[in-house]
Amino acid sequence: MDQQTQNGAEFELDLGWMEKQGEWGTHAEPSKNGLTLADIQVGSYAETPEESRNLSGRPRGAVPRPGSMPIGNYTVRTKSEIWLENASFLYEEALQRQWSSATDIPWDTIEPLPDDVEQAQCQMATFLTEVEFVAGDVPSRWVSKTSPDFYEARNVLMAQVMDESRHMDVFRKRALVNGGGLMRATGATAGFVGGIDLARDFTEMSSRLHLSGEGAVLTIFRMGELMAYNDAEKAIYRLCAQDEARHVAFGVMHMRYMAANAPERREEIESYLDEAEAGMLTDAANPAGQLNQTSESLSIMLGGGRKYFDEGFRKLVSIRKRQLQEYQKRVTSAGFGDRFKNGRSRLGHMMANVAN
Amino acid sequence: MATAKDADRVRPALTLTKEELEVEVPEPRLNWMNQWREWGVRVRPGKKGLTLGSLNVGLYGEIPMNWPDRSRNPRGAIGVTGTPPVAIQIKDKVDLWAPCAADLYEEAIQRRWAPATDVDWKAIHPLPEDIERAICQVCTEICQYAIIDVEVITSWQHQMAYGYHEVKQFLATTSLDATRRHEAFRKRALVNGGGLGYEGPCQVSRLLLESSSGWTETVTGLILIRALFTQVMIRYLNRFAYNGVERKIYECVTQDFARLITYGVEHIKYALAHAPDKQGSILTTLAIGFRMFNRDLRDPVLREALAIVFGGGIAGARNEGMLVFYEMLDEYVQELLDACQYLRLPVTIEQLPRVFQKDQRHSADS
Ligand SMILES: [Fe+2]
Ligand SMILES: [Fe+2]
Repeated sequence: MDQQTQNGAEFELDLGWMEKQGEWGTHAEPSKNGLTLADIQVGSYAETPEESRNLSGRPRGAVPRPGSMPIGNYTVRTKSEIWLENASFLYEEALQRQWSSATDIPWDTIEPLPDDVEQAQCQMATFLTEVEFVAGDVPSRWVSKTSPDFYEARNVLMAQVMDESRHMDVFRKRALVNGGGLMRATGATAGFVGGIDLARDFTEMSSRLHLSGEGAVLTIFRMGELMAYNDAEKAIYRLCAQDEARHVAFGVMHMRYMAANAPERREEIESYLDEAEAGMLTDAANPAGQLNQTSESLSIMLGGGRKYFDEGFRKLVSIRKRQLQEYQKRVTSAGFGDRFKNGRSRLGHMMANVAN
Repeated sequence: MATAKDADRVRPALTLTKEELEVEVPEPRLNWMNQWREWGVRVRPGKKGLTLGSLNVGLYGEIPMNWPDRSRNPRGAIGVTGTPPVAIQIKDKVDLWAPCAADLYEEAIQRRWAPATDVDWKAIHPLPEDIERAICQVCTEICQYAIIDVEVITSWQHQMAYGYHEVKQFLATTSLDATRRHEAFRKRALVNGGGLGYEGPCQVSRLLLESSSGWTETVTGLILIRALFTQVMIRYLNRFAYNGVERKIYECVTQDFARLITYGVEHIKYALAHAPDKQGSILTTLAIGFRMFNRDLRDPVLREALAIVFGGGIAGARNEGMLVFYEMLDEYVQELLDACQYLRLPVTIEQLPRVFQKDQRHSADS
């Protein structure tokens, strides 16, 4: 404590810290979208270390304090393990596009539906409530393990956690708003080996969650108009698709960075993709997959009722194809397109079996 | 009533290929139909729209004291059994619940903001160098607090049982709030000719990150020490703000903190009401926390930086600025004691390290 007498004498100041500040003279300039994360990448503040030695939660660019303790529980300390080039953009976009499931969905437009359609909607809502849980909790856990030197990537994941929380509640709301209720859970996201929860490596987790899991869900949300019966449902799928597109973009961009900057890990990533492809149609986490609980409810939604199941199922098959095509595009964009030419990918085989 | 066919008409067609039109369709099993625990629920939107809390009707509103299920079965659904569990550790309501969580969640969403566009960054103007350096130092330390807040909250969220989704969802808003706090203060540090400062001391942060054995204890440190102090500090910074940019940030951050503090205090209250024996570990955490906080406060950096901001420069910091700093500390202590009184925690000012006691302060640490 500084020495100050009780009689009003001045406090002594040390002020030594004024000599220990980071790069000085920084004038970040706002751009047309305000002052974005991209705009504050100025001078040394734009530099991200390849290996982070920051173990104390220090903001990147601040001057390290010699006595600080390694209190951060960071297992992700290598840039290529988590980095992506457009994190700043994805984060700012996420903040601009936050929405409210309480007030941005025209709930009043929902009117009673035939029982079979309502049941199908509620079954799908139950399933989605369940998978949104995993999509929020797992990235959240990874943020706590990532060095703040990679804060741009952390920020995008944090925005995802918020998005998923809202998805979770919008589907719960849908299930309880129209004379239905929640139905039977699927267990799609349990702690299976090869599941999203158990991945020991961030890229492994991201390939399962962002690229294959959310990729498949994004295709479905984009087809939301086909399975919506009112403006409320249309709004739900449209807004969720917007969010999911960012989550999938994170996965694609991260994998692209990894491919370009850590070629020694290429083969490992190819095996994650092998695994992802193997589960794409059989995995219960794909609502258009082979689990009858979800595929049948989707077929009823797509067809327009139990009576039109066949029509709905055929649409579902077409959607499965789209899922595979979109997956191929994403993997190619991430820099792993060779697998579709060199025979490694099973996608061709799967394409032939989408109707099973 | 809208019929399925009516609805079908407004849906765009998906043009199927000839091959797809000829797909052989398997007979549906439909064994998932008519499977529910409660059907016929029709929650209608109210004044604030269709809120999370309003869904708690009938069986869906039954929130048991214990949720032993370590899967992701949504509350009120028919759960699956026999699947490998996920890493859930907090299964008792008393360990995380606050009755206000669902309302705070919706409020967080309604009051969302974006530092990039909700702050008029162009309105900033150059400040004398000592003041700019002080503000940048304060920003650096608030950034570091926010980074730690994110890590603390995200390291717990996934460990909480799904039956208490309202709390998990609210916590997702608080870690995004903390993310935004880091962002906003980093932007402020880099916008006006300054830069980031010197890393802050880490003892309270250490307590928050390392108290991994109980969420209630973590909340005790996170709310009653870190958040309440930061909230009071931001209130003072707002009072002494140099421009509209800073004022806007302080106002938005204050709202965010208010929700976090409300959750924290109400959770501790709930925990004490339903498990009075928790009082011991809460008090011990507070006692340890204050020792840690005392160690952090021995470091002159934050104190001097704040005094410069409050005193209008280095000269003013030596008297007026430092006096305001201690006034701020006293205000924090008063709010802490008020919170303890509300929680019926027997904490008195005499139990706190001397730096927190107005009368004892200047004989402290000699
Ligand atoms: Fe989602
Ligand atoms: Fe997602």
